[in-house]
Amino acid sequence: MKMRYLLLFLFLVPLAFAAWQNVAMLAMGLSLTLLAIVYMVGMGFGINEMQMLAKDEFVQLIALAVMIVVLFAGDGLLNGISTSPAFREGSALTMQDTATAIIDTTLANATSLLGTISDFDASVATEASRASQCSLTGGGWSLGYGVSACGGYAMLAAPLSMSGGIVGFAIGELSAMKKLILMTETYALSLLLPLGILLRTFKITRGAGGLLMALGISLHIMLPAGVIFNEMLGATFLAHDHPADVEEQVADYRSEPSASIAECEPGDTNVPVVSAGWEAIDVGDALPDDWSDSNENKAVAGYMSLRKDIRAYIYTIFIRATLGPILALLMVMASVRALTALAGAEVDVSAISRFV
Amino acid sequence: MADICSPAFGTFFNNTLVPLMIYASTATAALIGLSYMAGTALSNPKVTLWSKTEAVQLVVSAISVFFILSAINVFCSINMVDVGAVFEMGGSTGNVYDAAESYLMGAAGLAHHAMIVVRYHLEAYTILSMVNMFECDFSTGTFGWGCLFGYSGTNMQPLGGYGAPMAALNTFFNSSIMAYFSALNFLFILLFVYKGFVFLFLPLGIFLRAMPYLRGFGSLLIAVAMSFLIIYPLMLAVLGMMSGVLLSYPPELSLASYDEQTFPDKEDTTGTEAAYEGADALHDDYFSGNENVAGAIELAAAAFIAAVFMPTVALLATIASINYLARLYGEEIDLSRITQLV
Repeated sequence: MKMRYLLLFLFLVPLAFAAWQNVAMLAMGLSLTLLAIVYMVGMGFGINEMQMLAKDEFVQLIALAVMIVVLFAGDGLLNGISTSPAFREGSALTMQDTATAIIDTTLANATSLLGTISDFDASVATEASRASQCSLTGGGWSLGYGVSACGGYAMLAAPLSMSGGIVGFAIGELSAMKKLILMTETYALSLLLPLGILLRTFKITRGAGGLLMALGISLHIMLPAGVIFNEMLGATFLAHDHPADVEEQVADYRSEPSASIAECEPGDTNVPVVSAGWEAIDVGDALPDDWSDSNENKAVAGYMSLRKDIRAYIYTIFIRATLGPILALLMVMASVRALTALAGAEVDVSAISRFV
Repeated sequence: MADICSPAFGTFFNNTLVPLMIYASTATAALIGLSYMAGTALSNPKVTLWSKTEAVQLVVSAISVFFILSAINVFCSINMVDVGAVFEMGGSTGNVYDAAESYLMGAAGLAHHAMIVVRYHLEAYTILSMVNMFECDFSTGTFGWGCLFGYSGTNMQPLGGYGAPMAALNTFFNSSIMAYFSALNFLFILLFVYKGFVFLFLPLGIFLRAMPYLRGFGSLLIAVAMSFLIIYPLMLAVLGMMSGVLLSYPPELSLASYDEQTFPDKEDTTGTEAAYEGADALHDDYFSGNENVAGAIELAAAAFIAAVFMPTVALLATIASINYLARLYGEEIDLSRITQLV
């Protein structure tokens, strides 16, 4: 009797849904028919395993019906989370918009920093390549000399090149995150989640269905949440009322790069004169007056000013552009792992985790 | 139309695979029958019980094969446009197998596109970095008096400083190559499935599942066939429905802006031009408003998502499904090592 009521309920449910929900209900109906056949065959031939299997699957079908109902309500819940004022900033309507805005700002900053580093690199390389030559030729004789007095600048090329690589990687990471958020904003609730439920109906596609459901929910919520969470942490740190000695350093994190590369004199072979060893000068100290009287010292002064600038890059490149995406992706992976297990599909996502 | 849905494949299927499956089923049934008779004649309940169990397993195998073939027929007749309509979105066209193939071809195309854009930048920067310039002392305009009676001036590489963007782009050149190869690899797996080799697992699976100690191996073969014929193309077809976002790129990064013919065309003229117009003119020869390092990186990142990340998800679902199906057939198979290869 109870079974009949349940069947009646299952066949009436489609009337309350539209589009994919109808298809999901049809899939459930089909699955139910197959289960009935399996159960009857099991009963007819006295095969207990088949009967057990059919009963097992019937429980899964009920769980799925519950999931559909939860999704129908949860759709509003997910939208509620995504539009919650706690996760929004400015005029953004959803947390996905907020995360995209954060990524766009960080991407613009990282691109600008790559431009700055490239400009330094161009100056350094041009200066390092300068060599002075002088020769006189005539009447069957020739006299001349060549001087490469700017070689000291070459030491700056390697760290600048490495910095370019790091900033480029950060830009790539941010772009990938932006693409994923755009993808989930467009497809998570309208395709991945309903299709996942649909596929979960059948035993053979249960793994794929569970994975799609987990991906849909995790990417939709956890990915932007990770980006926003990291941004909140960083902004709170920068806005915090630090003690004076710490504040001096924190101010560097908020600053813009201001290093400069002095022009090299290719014919100047003066030996460096320094009143104090450069290793005794701390980051931010004023350079001694006799510092810039040779090309070598100019190169070291360029190095010192670039070193002082490092903190101006760290916040954008390491905290916002590297740590943020890693945090968000780890949250997504942890969530996918938990939700696939919840959806009854054991998918080993460690291979995707290795991308992080 | 994918090979698997073509009439030629139907002929191959009917003439080669069906007889093979019939032979395998008949041989297995005969073996089971003989075992049952031997068990009854020798009054050995172990052998008769084994025969009964295997008879049931033979039926299960046959049903599995029937199910796989039905699923293939359904996949060949499903129109992805209709599926898209159910979820109120466009995306793929053709049947499930066509859509899967089309997505991977699109992903490979995007990765190749990213390679071209990144390579264009790298090639231009490499050429520009190598340019040498000699600036004569005491110059008046482009004429240097210092070189009148000899060679007096400064030698330099005016455009030598592209180390930072080249380091950034090198990483993404490698990543787009990896994305390209990865997409081709996934496509190869798909075509391998379409060409029918996986079907040979079916008769083998039917036969081996009934053999002592080989139940696990036989189950694995059927599970592999089922997963790669159903789950893998299905997941890729779903990705195809998302191609509107996954395979898109900004219009300013179209291939028309990065014509590789630029490089041979400029080889003969650049020297003279630079002597009169300065080194920056050389830069403009290669980049007429299309220098976009961040854009090139963005494209390579998009290619990575489309050609590596998402198809890997599809393959993981397939491997998970193999595990799941093997368990359904009553055998636990540890595929964690294979997952680590992904």
